[in-house]
Amino acid sequence: MDYDCITKEIRKDIFLAAYSASNAHLASAFSIVETMYALYEQGVLHVNPQNPQDPTRDWFILSKGHGSLALYCELYRRGFFDRDTFLSFSKPSSSLGGEPCFPAVPGVECSTGSLGHGLGFAAGAAFAKKLDGRSEKVYCLVGDGECQEGSTWEALMFASRQGLDNLTVLVDCNGLQKMDRVEAIMGIPSLAPHFQVFGCETAEVDGHDIHAIRACLSAENRSGKPRAVLLRTVKGKGVSIMENDPGWHWRLPKKKELKVFMQELGISEEEAEYAKSLRNGTV
Amino acid sequence: MQRAYATALYEILKKDRNVISCLSDSGTDYDELIAREFPDQVVNFGISENNQLSAAAGMAAAGKIPFVYTTGAFIVYRSYEFLRDDVCLQNRNVKLIGMGTGLAWSTLGATHHTTEDLALLRALPNLTVFTPATPRELTGAVQAAYETRGPVYIRMGMSGEEELFDETYTFTPGKILPVREGKDLTVFTAGSILSEVMKAARLLELEGISARVVNVHTVKPLDSEGILRECKGPGLFFSVEEHNVLGGIGTAIADVCGSAGLPLRLTKIGLRDSFAEGFGTKKDVLRQNCLDAEHIFLRISEVVKNGLSVQI
Repeated sequence: MDYDCITKEIRKDIFLAAYSASNAHLASAFSIVETMYALYEQGVLHVNPQNPQDPTRDWFILSKGHGSLALYCELYRRGFFDRDTFLSFSKPSSSLGGEPCFPAVPGVECSTGSLGHGLGFAAGAAFAKKLDGRSEKVYCLVGDGECQEGSTWEALMFASRQGLDNLTVLVDCNGLQKMDRVEAIMGIPSLAPHFQVFGCETAEVDGHDIHAIRACLSAENRSGKPRAVLLRTVKGKGVSIMENDPGWHWRLPKKKELKVFMQELGISEEEAEYAKSLRNGTV
Repeated sequence: MQRAYATALYEILKKDRNVISCLSDSGTDYDELIAREFPDQVVNFGISENNQLSAAAGMAAAGKIPFVYTTGAFIVYRSYEFLRDDVCLQNRNVKLIGMGTGLAWSTLGATHHTTEDLALLRALPNLTVFTPATPRELTGAVQAAYETRGPVYIRMGMSGEEELFDETYTFTPGKILPVREGKDLTVFTAGSILSEVMKAARLLELEGISARVVNVHTVKPLDSEGILRECKGPGLFFSVEEHNVLGGIGTAIADVCGSAGLPLRLTKIGLRDSFAEGFGTKKDVLRQNCLDAEHIFLRISEVVKNGLSVQI
């Protein structure tokens, strides 16, 4: 399967939704495209688009809620909602906000966006499932900058103490946060030792290698500990001028830059114009 | 009050396996006894209130009914955003028991007091707020919290509150409860300070002033109809609370009457936009902050004799 072609298509759709809304945390969504694809389309996450509240589903919580477009795109691709809904992103009557909302969006388990909340929520859900002897898994994706929030480590202590091996923490290690490199701001070159010390079974993978992500997440965790998977990623992955530049945390391309986006993501004039018309409400 | 809480919780835990007692190193001997009998229904989160609230929301999402028992100041102040985003915004079925609220941690000082919590919590959509005054009322509030679908906060004292109600007492959520008849003036109050207000009413009686006392045990949703009924007609009205006068029950009552176009002569007795001062027993701290029965009596008598003072 040509994964490059698929992930280019996903990034294109994410861009069109963002462009139609004239706002998004685009670079933060682009760094997790392969992870979200592996979760939703490579058999890692067992979900039921026909019944999003299916009690036997696995749970996914996007704690770094600002990467919402990567989640919405997979929910749309899996049939939780249609393309028009996806392209309604962040417009007045849409249920799809810049940060995911519960219960408005099918497939979204929890409102997130304020950093440092998702992992505690996920740990609570995993704890309840363990108590009930249920086999569903809980996955939570956090950002590496987000790990500066102390509540993340409170949640990890709890998850380790309770032996929540039904919980997987995915860490998007794109190395950037809004103002600078994570390491420059907090002086921590790698988070792996921290997750180990806090009692997690820890693995590191290339966060743009779908095979590697799938292999890592498909392996059964019998360690009796929560699992942390550190995904080495590139913020803004897929568009050369956006990659690894913190300046793209919260902005869209200007006129000249737009040509680079269109060229590298394979977007036609018509597709860009259509997205723009959604913004203006002319369709 | 702790014993009444533990007893009420015990009965609920026994009946419903989905009820989970959540502690953050905040339990008592009673909780240890409960944990011995129901080890799967008690979890200690350690000293981490933020995660405790997020996790309680996650547990509720997965079908559990967490009863989070922690010092009120830590739930409300430290973890307000977690309470807002994870519990109230998503309308999760989480019960919060603010232990040692008001001035109950009298020996420890203001970091442990909870004297602005009602102002903060009244503004949270989806949240129900109970302020039980006695062990019997707390027992009713705990049962009502269990029966309410959605988040509930119980503002609980812990200063050996005396029982003011007999065994016929029934807790009716959302309704004010007149607890003393009187014809000269009306005092609204809520929570543990009710006993001081009752004593103040008896002192007023000796002066020939007959005070009606109304217990506002449900601060949210507020019994607007009941309050308007109480406030009809001329008369003097007072609110007494172990809370800042800004944003507490006095503010809430004035708001109800103002919105209904009812002119109200309301004197708000509480902390006057200040943190409480001093240490000692609860009674000591109440006295130092002019909130014990004698000070309440003096303040009310002064207003009765001299008319309203322009003071917050």
